[in-house]
Amino acid sequence: MKLTRGAALVLGLVVVVYGALMLYPLLRVFEDSFREFIPGRIGSAANAPFTVANYTDLLHPAYVSYFWDTFRIGLISSFLGVLLAFPIAYFVARRRSDWLRRTTIGFLITLMFLSVLVRVYAIELSFGPVGFASEIARLFGETSGSRFYIEFMIVLGLLHYAVPMSALVLIGAIQNVNPRLIEAAQSLGAARWKSHLAVSVPLCARGLLSAFLVSFTLSISAFIVPMVLGRGKVMFVSNLIYNRFSELANFPSGSAVAVVMLVISLVVIYIVSRLTSGDWERAVR
Amino acid sequence: MKRLADNVLGLLVVCLSAATIAFLVTPLLIATVMSFDSRDFLGAFPPPSLSLQWYVGFFSDASYLKGLQVSLILALAATALSSLIGVAAAFTLDRYTFPGKDTLSAFFLSPLVVPHVIIGFSLLLFFSAIGVFDGWVRLIGGHLIITVPYVIRTTLASLVGIRKSLTEAALILGATERRSFWKVTVPLAKTGIAAGAVFAFAYSMDDVSVSLFLTGPDFYTLPVAMTTAMRSEFDLRIAAAAVCLIVLTIALIWVLDRVVGLDKVIGQGVYHK
Repeated sequence: MKLTRGAALVLGLVVVVYGALMLYPLLRVFEDSFREFIPGRIGSAANAPFTVANYTDLLHPAYVSYFWDTFRIGLISSFLGVLLAFPIAYFVARRRSDWLRRTTIGFLITLMFLSVLVRVYAIELSFGPVGFASEIARLFGETSGSRFYIEFMIVLGLLHYAVPMSALVLIGAIQNVNPRLIEAAQSLGAARWKSHLAVSVPLCARGLLSAFLVSFTLSISAFIVPMVLGRGKVMFVSNLIYNRFSELANFPSGSAVAVVMLVISLVVIYIVSRLTSGDWERAVR
Repeated sequence: MKRLADNVLGLLVVCLSAATIAFLVTPLLIATVMSFDSRDFLGAFPPPSLSLQWYVGFFSDASYLKGLQVSLILALAATALSSLIGVAAAFTLDRYTFPGKDTLSAFFLSPLVVPHVIIGFSLLLFFSAIGVFDGWVRLIGGHLIITVPYVIRTTLASLVGIRKSLTEAALILGATERRSFWKVTVPLAKTGIAAGAVFAFAYSMDDVSVSLFLTGPDFYTLPVAMTTAMRSEFDLRIAAAAVCLIVLTIALIWVLDRVVGLDKVIGQGVYHK
């Protein structure tokens, strides 16, 4: 049907809402990131001179290390997440609709919906200094306050979301692999592990990649997990933005970090959507 | 030899999966048990005896109660508003054809790909620049932009599934445009709308990343109050609050299962028919 005036009005109103609450604020952040920092106000002064100092500051090794930490820890947790989720997903995908399948799917979806605060608090309570942390830390030859152990806790925090999410993405992928193929490989004499490596994994490659990239996107933009579990010793880029607001009140610098982070996220998401063409949207549901 | 390797590896994979599931569940169980701890300090697991003191503490703490009240009102308001906007946008997008339609749909879904911290930060700058300091306006604005895309997506998904022949049949049988819309399209899209509303409520209720930027010392949501408490005292009232949130999540998933059916969210795949 061709667009009527009423319909155009509805769409126009929605565009206005999006413009006011997302597009314009983001453009302001972009503009602010090029303004000189004048202490003591929220946002830049309207007549503050333009500068690229907010960006060149980010090239300082101290800042580069925040980006590096974010990527390194994000990469480790998304990789582990996919690895741990695959067998669980395989188990669910190969079952017909019965109570066990439904319970597991319900369980995974509930875990995805769970508030990040609940996860973080539960992990801190279990693995933190009051939990059985000291014993686990000793296994690594560390104390529960060491940097390694804190990074380990952040990985756990990210995995608590990445595993159920990856499992749900992989269930969809594995279900669309013909089970006869694996049976054929095994009846022709391949060992079970070999048949999985040679048949299941390559046929699920897109699913595996998309699960990995979705986890990665969400991990590098994680905020509460590194904020609480990092205890100020390990910070992600998102925490850097918040610090610019809560502790330093340096908004132009925060804006520059936000612009860089947004560009990185959009590039990763662009790659995801090219690789999976639409899977991503179903995946983050 | 092959059998042995297979069995050993199989056992290893089963153990690894069991450990993963245990890792996902155990912290939640520990938090639940600890929320009933009778000690008045944060001691080691397990608690020596049980009591409800942390729940009493949580529900008699003025600041938590205020946060809970703000969160509930906010989640209801954001759900109502975003359902209205989202459903209107999705129906219009589905029904009419015009140049640039795909671009507009992508634009309407785009807040999903912007990290929430950046949305919160940019809204803080925006609201401060235009002089909006009212906590409700700021929070509803922030929660709206993160929940509307979910409503649009689920509603669009349910509308795409409706076969055009059904509305055409209604029209051929003499219904007006309007009547076929209300009698055929809307009832068939109901599950999508309801799922969108459940998503909106859940995401609004749980949000911290956006709210943290838009709240202040005397106006905050429950998750913001919990975050602040976690960074300072870390007492077990947070465990009591966490258990309440777990119960709320399970209730929402139950509603989602009733409305849409969880198996439909995933699908059965092509080889399971």
